[in-house]
Amino acid sequence: MSVATPPPDTPTTRHDAVVEALKRRFGEQGVREQATLTGWPVLWVAREALTEVLGFLRDKSQAFEMLYDLSAIDERLRSHRRDLPDADFTVFYHLMSLSRNRDVILKVALGETDLSLPSVASIYPNANWYEREVWDMFGITFEGHPHLTRILMPPTWNGHPLRKDHHARATEFDPYTLTVVGQDKEQQALKFDPEHWGMRRKHDDSEFMFLNLGPNHPSAHGAFRIVLQLDGEEIIDCVPDIGYHHRGAEKMAERQSWHSFIPYTDRIDYTGGVMNNLPYVLAVEKLAGIQVTERAATIRVMLAEMFRITSHLLFLGTYLQDLGAMTPVFFTFTDRQKGYEVIEAITGFRMHPAWYRIGGVAHDLPRGWEKLVQGFLDWMPKRLREYERAMMENAIVRERTRHVAAHTTTEALAWGITGPNLRATGFDFDLRKQRPYSGYENFDFEIPVGSNGDAFDRGQLRIDEMRQSLRIIQQCVDHMPAGDYKADHPLTTPPPRERMLQHIETLITHFLQVSWGPVLKPNESLQMIEATKGINGYYLTSDGNTMSYRTRIRTPSFPHLQHIPALMRGGFVPDLIAHLGSIDFVMADVDR
Amino acid sequence: MAYTLTRATDAVATENSRYPLNERRRVEDPMKQQVHRNVFTGKLEEVLNSAVNWGRKNSLWPYNFGLSCCYVEMTTAFTAPHDIARFGAEVIRASPRQADFMVIAGTCFLKMAPVIQQLYDQMLEPKWVISMGSCANSGGMYDIYSVVQGVDKFLPVDVYVPGCPPRPEAFLQGLQLLQDSIQEERRPLSWVVGDQGVYRAEMPSQREKNREWRIQATELRTPDSI
Ligand code: SF4
Repeated sequence: MSVATPPPDTPTTRHDAVVEALKRRFGEQGVREQATLTGWPVLWVAREALTEVLGFLRDKSQAFEMLYDLSAIDERLRSHRRDLPDADFTVFYHLMSLSRNRDVILKVALGETDLSLPSVASIYPNANWYEREVWDMFGITFEGHPHLTRILMPPTWNGHPLRKDHHARATEFDPYTLTVVGQDKEQQALKFDPEHWGMRRKHDDSEFMFLNLGPNHPSAHGAFRIVLQLDGEEIIDCVPDIGYHHRGAEKMAERQSWHSFIPYTDRIDYTGGVMNNLPYVLAVEKLAGIQVTERAATIRVMLAEMFRITSHLLFLGTYLQDLGAMTPVFFTFTDRQKGYEVIEAITGFRMHPAWYRIGGVAHDLPRGWEKLVQGFLDWMPKRLREYERAMMENAIVRERTRHVAAHTTTEALAWGITGPNLRATGFDFDLRKQRPYSGYENFDFEIPVGSNGDAFDRGQLRIDEMRQSLRIIQQCVDHMPAGDYKADHPLTTPPPRERMLQHIETLITHFLQVSWGPVLKPNESLQMIEATKGINGYYLTSDGNTMSYRTRIRTPSFPHLQHIPALMRGGFVPDLIAHLGSIDFVMADVDR
Repeated sequence: MAYTLTRATDAVATENSRYPLNERRRVEDPMKQQVHRNVFTGKLEEVLNSAVNWGRKNSLWPYNFGLSCCYVEMTTAFTAPHDIARFGAEVIRASPRQADFMVIAGTCFLKMAPVIQQLYDQMLEPKWVISMGSCANSGGMYDIYSVVQGVDKFLPVDVYVPGCPPRPEAFLQGLQLLQDSIQEERRPLSWVVGDQGVYRAEMPSQREKNREWRIQATELRTPDSI
């Protein structure tokens, strides 16, 4: 079982096909390759050629249907820049071809004095929010962008937080105060101005109603705001407003050691627990060249699937509650409690165990874990059957969700939709099968897919996914490999405690690794996983330091929310509530 | 017992006044003065106060308000395994107008702070605030540009519940502590009778109260078995 080498079904020849095609089309100088540990070709292209290259790749012959991620790096303080073109800032575009299961990453170099790029929102519609985020965080403008405004920070904010010269800590400047005028000013700034968004206030003598939903609304699932333009009950248009949950996790990564950032990952998709640790530690292990033991990898899979179940249970309860059913949440939370009993006995914590380590997990499974896990595995199936009978076969639930907020696969790919929401459209793409990591290739399980891509399918699919997760966990219980729970590697953090007390040398190493943390060689690595809500990925850039130079966290919920207006135009308000429930998002997974 | 007095009349806001607006100072137990003045009315007021407080503390309606991860543990406390109805606080209100207390469950974001203030202002007196989790208490592990370092920078907090996130049981304990302090409160019984100030009892901190027996622990369970 290896996690340091690229997954088996992504042979390098396939990369070459894309690079070859690009070189044929744009010439040898047009694309410049950079060697990285991302597992995919990383190509530098000129700013002038960008739209053409993207258009070429988007086209049928190359079939990169999805803009998976778009972000930037402030390169000004990066010291290891060998073989890299001159750049003060780099903007990167990560494209995915799900039909051919291959990726390519494009980079564009920018100088400090000319921070501007053409917007690609006309090629990939989901570039819209990503470009706004890059503007907000780095101050890079995108020409031709339909609405380039701040997205995560408040409209009254000054500066661009992810620039290296922007302060990171709140305690670096004056303590927060809120005055009466300040409050008025902020409230004014939050006011929605339809003209600003190019919306009309009335139509043929009838005035539209503008309804502000959130940032605190019981069915908005956290600090999320969406402004609706209504004609009666019908939604003419809507504008989601995010950023009320921005905790600066990416900036935080630039001042935490590789090791001490792990707890922050738990809090990205906060219902996913240790599932969030997985892409991060896997990406770090690629940089460090660590291969974890089979036991560690299997323990990781088991816990990650436990969290998939607790997360899906939370989803199911709240989803049905949003549809007006009061009882399900009591049932699903009872099951969650059972799940947490297992999780807590193994990791010592409920929601945020931060239990994976670079090179393994925090400690070995406790004595008697099999019985505990088996108890949960025996309990769940009949509950899932009950949920299906009592809820998904319920006429009201079906009426409220079938053919509501339905979308096609093509639409989903264009908007960057991944995970169960993509599979609900009937498209079979699950990274655990397509690009197995952490030993998923050794498990026997199926990928449930839907057919209509509507709110109902999104709900039903999660119940089916829980069954498959139970199957995976059962296999972990039956075939847990023996061996160490940590890899024997100098960069494993923290190093085995037993060795610490043997010799002054081992004591010093232990001390340095725990206090300063491991030093990783300069390089770039990437790991994507099939998280609870879709594809979650960490793109790490190391500059040969104890801390990351840049950590890009790509979360599935961000594009899922961006998709709402395209889907809801012409729908009704109750459909929007059903749709919000069926997306399964948490705001930390959107704003980070 | 020492009390903190808050007067509504103090809250005449000028433009630059900072939240929280009310001025507060520490005073003696207001009941004591009453007792010296007239034994009978003093007693009567005390009985009335206790009865009203008993009613208040056992029917606390929470505001349905959540910010981040801590909110998940807070809702867990509302569901069957933890059953907050035992404490009379299960009636979640979606409107601040109908709620008695607000739990700041999660991180207080800079962009969210004015919204929280607005919602708090919309709640009617008597109202209380529980700060749940390290983030709401102090910023927690997020000493970062977009996070307010503790919700008490602008809201008056009654109970702090530590943890990241606190367990549902810890939240329930926080709720009970709030109930205890409500029992000791002195509020005007009517808008025409007596002193119009709000007197809040200063409750002992749990850390100090429990230190003695907590430090008795010498052996902690190892994580080797379940
Ligand atoms: S205290 Fe911890 S669990 Fe609670 S909101 Fe903050 S990070 Fe999340």
